Amino acid sequence: MGNLSDVRVDSKKNPVKGQIISGKFGEVFARQKSDSEFELGEILVCETLDPENNSSTSKTFFQVYDLQYGSQISQQNLEMISGMMLEENSDIEFMDKNLRNYKLALLKNLITIGRDDNVMMSKALPEIFSSVRTIKDSDLSFMKTPKNPIFLGKLRSGSKALDVDINLDGSQALTHHILISGTTGKGKSVLMSNILWDCTGKDYNGLLVLDPHNEYFLGNGKIGLRNHPSGKIVYYTAKNLIVGARSLKINIRILRPSHFGCLDFSDAQEQAMNAYYKDFGIKWLEAILLDKKTNSVFNDATIHVLKRRMMYLLDIDVGNGEVYCNGIFDFNAGEGSISNICDALESANTVIIDTSAFSGQVELLVGSLITTELFNRYKNYKMIDTLANKPVISIVLEEAPRVLGKDILEKGSNIFSTIAREGRKFKVGLIAITQLPSLIPRDILANINTKIILGTEMIQERQAIIDSASQDLSNDSRNIASLDKGECIISSNFAKFPIPVKVPFFEEFAARTLNPAAKTDNKKNTSYMGLSE
Amino acid sequence: MKFAHMADVHIGSWKDPKLKDMSTEAFIKAVSICIEKKVDFILIAGDLFNTALPGIDGLKSVVKEFKVLRDKGISVYVIPGSHDYSPSGKTMIDVLEEAGLLKNVFKGKVVDGKIQLRFTKDEKTGAKITGILGRRGTLEKLYYQELDLEHLEKEQGKKIFMFHTSITELKPGSKSVMDSTDVSYMPKNFEYYSGGHVHIVNKYSFKDHKNVVYPGPLFPANFEELEELGVGGFFIYNDTLIHHGDSHFERIDINIKNTLPIKIDCNHKSPEEVYQMILDKITGKELLNTIVLIRVAGTLKTGKVSDINFKELFLKCYAQGAFYVMRNTVKVLSSEYEELRIEDYSPEDIEESMIKEHIGQIKVSGFTSEKELVITKELMHFLSSEKHEGEKVYEYDDRIKKDIDKLLEL
Repeated sequence: MGNLSDVRVDSKKNPVKGQIISGKFGEVFARQKSDSEFELGEILVCETLDPENNSSTSKTFFQVYDLQYGSQISQQNLEMISGMMLEENSDIEFMDKNLRNYKLALLKNLITIGRDDNVMMSKALPEIFSSVRTIKDSDLSFMKTPKNPIFLGKLRSGSKALDVDINLDGSQALTHHILISGTTGKGKSVLMSNILWDCTGKDYNGLLVLDPHNEYFLGNGKIGLRNHPSGKIVYYTAKNLIVGARSLKINIRILRPSHFGCLDFSDAQEQAMNAYYKDFGIKWLEAILLDKKTNSVFNDATIHVLKRRMMYLLDIDVGNGEVYCNGIFDFNAGEGSISNICDALESANTVIIDTSAFSGQVELLVGSLITTELFNRYKNYKMIDTLANKPVISIVLEEAPRVLGKDILEKGSNIFSTIAREGRKFKVGLIAITQLPSLIPRDILANINTKIILGTEMIQERQAIIDSASQDLSNDSRNIASLDKGECIISSNFAKFPIPVKVPFFEEFAARTLNPAAKTDNKKNTSYMGLSE
Repeated sequence: MKFAHMADVHIGSWKDPKLKDMSTEAFIKAVSICIEKKVDFILIAGDLFNTALPGIDGLKSVVKEFKVLRDKGISVYVIPGSHDYSPSGKTMIDVLEEAGLLKNVFKGKVVDGKIQLRFTKDEKTGAKITGILGRRGTLEKLYYQELDLEHLEKEQGKKIFMFHTSITELKPGSKSVMDSTDVSYMPKNFEYYSGGHVHIVNKYSFKDHKNVVYPGPLFPANFEELEELGVGGFFIYNDTLIHHGDSHFERIDINIKNTLPIKIDCNHKSPEEVYQMILDKITGKELLNTIVLIRVAGTLKTGKVSDINFKELFLKCYAQGAFYVMRNTVKVLSSEYEELRIEDYSPEDIEESMIKEHIGQIKVSGFTSEKELVITKELMHFLSSEKHEGEKVYEYDDRIKKDIDKLLEL
């Protein structure tokens, strides 16, 4: 055995957890020290020391992606020994048992940190018998807080969270789209709530949230986005109107045939819509509902079906030559709603639309209306060279395959797929949330440059994510399957390596920034001129 | 209970000698209809006058009408609006209230930082009326945010809430940038919400806020309103059904003068062609007692806007009996060169024209003309921002500086 002083770490300061023994790049075997415990997803550090002064010259981060047993005893003998223990109650003891039976971990290289916190992709293997140790907060001093941070959680090594905040640069990550995937119950909503809370009130971004479960504003527990201290939340609902909420009303005359592109209308129906719009302008929907004729010829059945679908979709009744509006779409209200929502987003507000009372189709129509207007505005800003003054806009889409799914996009692109492909040029991005990423086409997934992966049991879904991740996650399938509630992996073009993260509970996270005294102070200076007893 | 709801009378708003008495005439006519229709009381939801201290002539006419109403036993309930409210308290509304000619229903007190409004009871019908005044810059928005809603909602009886503010959900598309208050800040389940300030005609029912009504102005207050509304008017509300049981509302139009809006798209046209198009629109028309509104927009193929012989067109209109002729050419551009004539359009239009006229005079590297236009408009917007209620001077200065720094990327 040679001199190992150049690869061993100072065991007093940095307790050894194991030792590298064999393997190849990306599949390194490490033996676990008997008094330690390797975990899936755990980050281990292998330090190279300068033999002259015993100082660290570089650190390579490894991550455990698989675990297995190792033994100096043959499998056949192990089975025999087990039989003796189970069947004959033999009290067998091994000599040097920690030497003979042990655990092995399969490690993959993450990154190498050189002197002066110089971060590099790992390109070399450490010496054989190099020690590996558990990661410490100080190993991560190279991680700097970006200019516009989005806090995602604490760095996680296995199941243990370190006191190291993980932030992405929001202005980059939001425009280049974010995917949040994971099985139900793994913490997608908590993570999204945290992101919304953290991003709200910051001037660099505006967020549009289509909330089909009405969970973000009110919150499931005591705290929701309504408690955000910035007050930069605009909340629209069609249900019970609490003080400060806006009643969601959309004027029917602002609807255009193109807004229905994300819904499954047939070609004939789409042609009929366009013909009505050409002939009747902003009153095209009234013309369909009131059985007016276009100059173009269409099958009567097509127009009847179109009328029936519009009545159902827009929640409208027709009788005695009049149109009665029952839902959010109306002739006498909501003329400025879409414009106001876009204005609020441009002023770096978070706009939450409670879509829990709507069918999926109405939700998508509302989303399409807002997004189309917003995207057109931002394209115009780019054209007139004022885009730099505008905040990044991110659109939160729950159950994203409804608009970004392969089957829907086969019928043609829609505003959401357009944003997925082109949005970054115009500072408009998506946050797509799904438990079924495999339904999203590969080219769209590839355009989403940050993926936040929560626990996913289904292999097909894991594979879709792994295949499109920003870093090589080909060995992480088991790791992803084993992610517990609130544990995730962030794979991003804006991160140095796939980062394991522990997401905090929303209430705990929000409570950090809540200051109950702040609001009452504002009242002291308010006078109410004109009010007399 | 039968009452009239009017708003935005704007006595004294028009400066032109021919139009300056129109709003007063409209008010006199409205009062006479109210008497004829035997309303129990009248609501005026702000901006009775165009200023806090109106001219003597208009005031005299209004006082005369109020006296007639008082003699007939018809009470008048008002809230001050953004035009006739004065922070100094020197407003004619107070004088008229002191004289017993009307009642200002914006009454109440502040309890624990919350505004507790008091109801004014109409003795004849028992209706309970309250409301919030309007202020310039939508400063009344703060009042809504601190309103004690529970106190208002627990009051029993037929309740009316008067307001002089824009409601976000009912803002017209053309006024989407106007500051506004969400309907959720208003007390729920009143019988009637009597609105003013936004010059639109709309009556709308939300789930918990039925009969939210804007009657529009009694007489249109500018060129655009004359084009869009044609006539002013108000609503009469009856809590028993009228019109054969199909409605509680009766819309009363106040038709002082007819209007004839003429809109001409001058793109790819010469001044002579535009002249001819306008001429075609007026030839053979009966223009007696009519206000003719000529709006031209687009880019002329040749010449400039002053080459359109408006003088002759005006003379022809007057020869056909027109009461008054107005034109708006703010959106006319010339493909050869531009000339600006400013007349009878909104301050925003005028501002934009002035900026466009002077754009590019000072060269700034990296500024396209479009960027210069946008930045100038935004700068004007920031610099015209008023100090918020309760905002300290240094906080106000700081806010403006921050906005401008951000805009100019300093």
